[in-house]
Amino acid sequence: MSIDGLLDRVAAGEALSASEVLELSAGHDLLALGTLADAARRRLHGSRVTYLRVAVCPFDDVRAGVVPAAAREIRLAGAPDSLGVALTAVERAKAVAGGRVVSGLSWADVARLAADAGVPPARALADLRAAGLEALAEIPIDAVADLAAVLGTLTAAGFGPLRLTVAAAPLAPRTALLLQVAELQRQSGAIRAIDPLPTSLDAFRPTTGYDDVKAVAVARLAAPNVASVQVDWLRHGPKLAQVALIFGADDVDGVPAADEAPEGRRRAPLEEVRRNIDAAGLTAVERDGRFQVVS
Amino acid sequence: MMIDRIARHVIEGGRVNADEALDLYRHAPTHRLGQLADAIRARKHPARVVTYIIDRNVNYTNVCVARCNFCAFYRPVGSADAYVLGFDEIFSKIDDTIALGGNQLLLQGGHNPDLPIAWYEDLFRAVKARYPDFKLHALSPPEVLHISRLNQVPVPAVIERLVAAGLDSIPGGGAEILVDRVRRLLNCYGKASADEWLDVMRHAHRAGLRSTATMMYWTVETDEERIEHMLRLRALQDETGGFTAFITWSYQPEHTERGGVEATGVDYLRTLALARIVLDNFDNLQASWVTQGGKVGQLSLAYGANDMGSVMIEENVVRAAGAAYCMDEIEIVSNVEDAGFTAKRRNMHYEILGDPIFRERDIPRMLALETARAAGDSSVPEELRNYPARSRAGKQLRLAQ
Ligand code: SF4
Repeated sequence: MSIDGLLDRVAAGEALSASEVLELSAGHDLLALGTLADAARRRLHGSRVTYLRVAVCPFDDVRAGVVPAAAREIRLAGAPDSLGVALTAVERAKAVAGGRVVSGLSWADVARLAADAGVPPARALADLRAAGLEALAEIPIDAVADLAAVLGTLTAAGFGPLRLTVAAAPLAPRTALLLQVAELQRQSGAIRAIDPLPTSLDAFRPTTGYDDVKAVAVARLAAPNVASVQVDWLRHGPKLAQVALIFGADDVDGVPAADEAPEGRRRAPLEEVRRNIDAAGLTAVERDGRFQVVS
Repeated sequence: MMIDRIARHVIEGGRVNADEALDLYRHAPTHRLGQLADAIRARKHPARVVTYIIDRNVNYTNVCVARCNFCAFYRPVGSADAYVLGFDEIFSKIDDTIALGGNQLLLQGGHNPDLPIAWYEDLFRAVKARYPDFKLHALSPPEVLHISRLNQVPVPAVIERLVAAGLDSIPGGGAEILVDRVRRLLNCYGKASADEWLDVMRHAHRAGLRSTATMMYWTVETDEERIEHMLRLRALQDETGGFTAFITWSYQPEHTERGGVEATGVDYLRTLALARIVLDNFDNLQASWVTQGGKVGQLSLAYGANDMGSVMIEENVVRAAGAAYCMDEIEIVSNVEDAGFTAKRRNMHYEILGDPIFRERDIPRMLALETARAAGDSSVPEELRNYPARSRAGKQLRLAQ
């Protein structure tokens, strides 16, 4: 497989075949993978990297006082006990959020809340959407039985464009799933972003730097029809999040909205994220929870 | 186009000059820099072996009169939390190191005016008497210079005496950036000018010692000065061939007088890759996972590094400045193998000692780095009374003993 040949194709906007993506993903040539993913990212986004400031609120403590004005999205954290509790939390969050996006819950939470309430997930989703929930925080492609059906249910309930996540899948099955995401996107066009790094971190078997940047690069190459590949600032930290940007990521999610900076303004999250994007040779642009650039 | 020309020159085995290095650093895409560095790594280490050493980084004293403004580790003479380790404490650290499969101490410390050369000689002799095969990788050039000045013994004679007492090799610490403008701004010109640092290394290499070389970047230096640092090391290596390895890390700003922010991960990978390209006469480049974390540390293997440095066991200096990453042998090896390399243990001369020790026998897991001393331990070692103090505080301490 000639990397130069692949590079020309990627730069021209051509999708690599599944077997090419699988071969790159299984190999050790990290820099070839990075070069290809970076070319794909640049074709779509140029030097632009977006970031999102998020206020993470426990679902049982949503108050105006805990949501900084700078937050562009309110993300409810935790798993409420019942659909009723979830709906109340969403309504409260929406009241605080105003025009800003309220996100929260995972697909598994929704399925559990719906089952406990004795209603189908579609019904629970419709109620949550009506209460003001605009996005699920986690739609793990490796932890749902039928991804196509899940995406269909979500879009039918008024959710979208969707942001997909990965719970814990290792590289090989994840690559296959990412190829499936590309196929679903061809059919539905409903997917806006994918965050390919695991949301559930295993302290005893942490992923490695190679695992993580490979996952980002493979996501970009496997699903070139999904606009954004994300990395979570708070979960993965500045160093890895920054390096991910040269391996195909174009969006930094999870930047804390609270500018707590005891060591001075230059170390506040906002300055830190902008400095890191800049130092990667890219241009930082703030976006809101609907992926709209904030001027 | 210029980058393509320089890249071809590098791939063909050519040496870059200062202007070419600057062009690469400023303009080559990060992956391109990595590919050049990786090609050199592959040429020098075709078997895809990545080495590491099991040793312990012991800081024998935190008392220092140099007062570099980037340092969060030192304490002035007479401070309440100043310490000098006792010989017995050092022996016990060696015992722990041997239990983990280690064979060396990396022994460095502050410039303590109350430790005459005899203290070092006695310590080294005592270590060698108890542990004849154990190696002492000790005293960076500014410490050698400090001992020389304090005892009014010329540097070559200091080295000769320390080697006679048991010194095996010299760590390349205290180099920071080998440009005097930078050293003055960092308040480390006094501890050693660029020429003095290089001279100590020259004498050490002539005396048959091998040493490493280091670079701490991201304080006040310009890109050109960073490259000048590399070129000065390259010139000395051409002359003596005494450097075994190069290690670079970014300035760790927490709790330092200088303050500021840390360099980013991409800055580190670019700097590392550039060093691999410029330092064409250095065989080994270490990944600084202690400052960069395990993930960027592992990624270093794609940007020119062929060595994971030390399992560490103990670290005090960069930890004082905010970096506290820890990896034991099992984790280092799994990172190396996950990146597609074969992990091998080595000694300070980069000779392969064997496969990972944890595959040969059970060793305790190490999930946090040790410190020089337990917090609040202000004990004064018994044997210090045998060595005359220079400072007023040191003299008072001796009298109180
Ligand atoms: S870096 Fe070394 S010489 Fe400088 S103040 Fe710290 S301990 Fe002393």
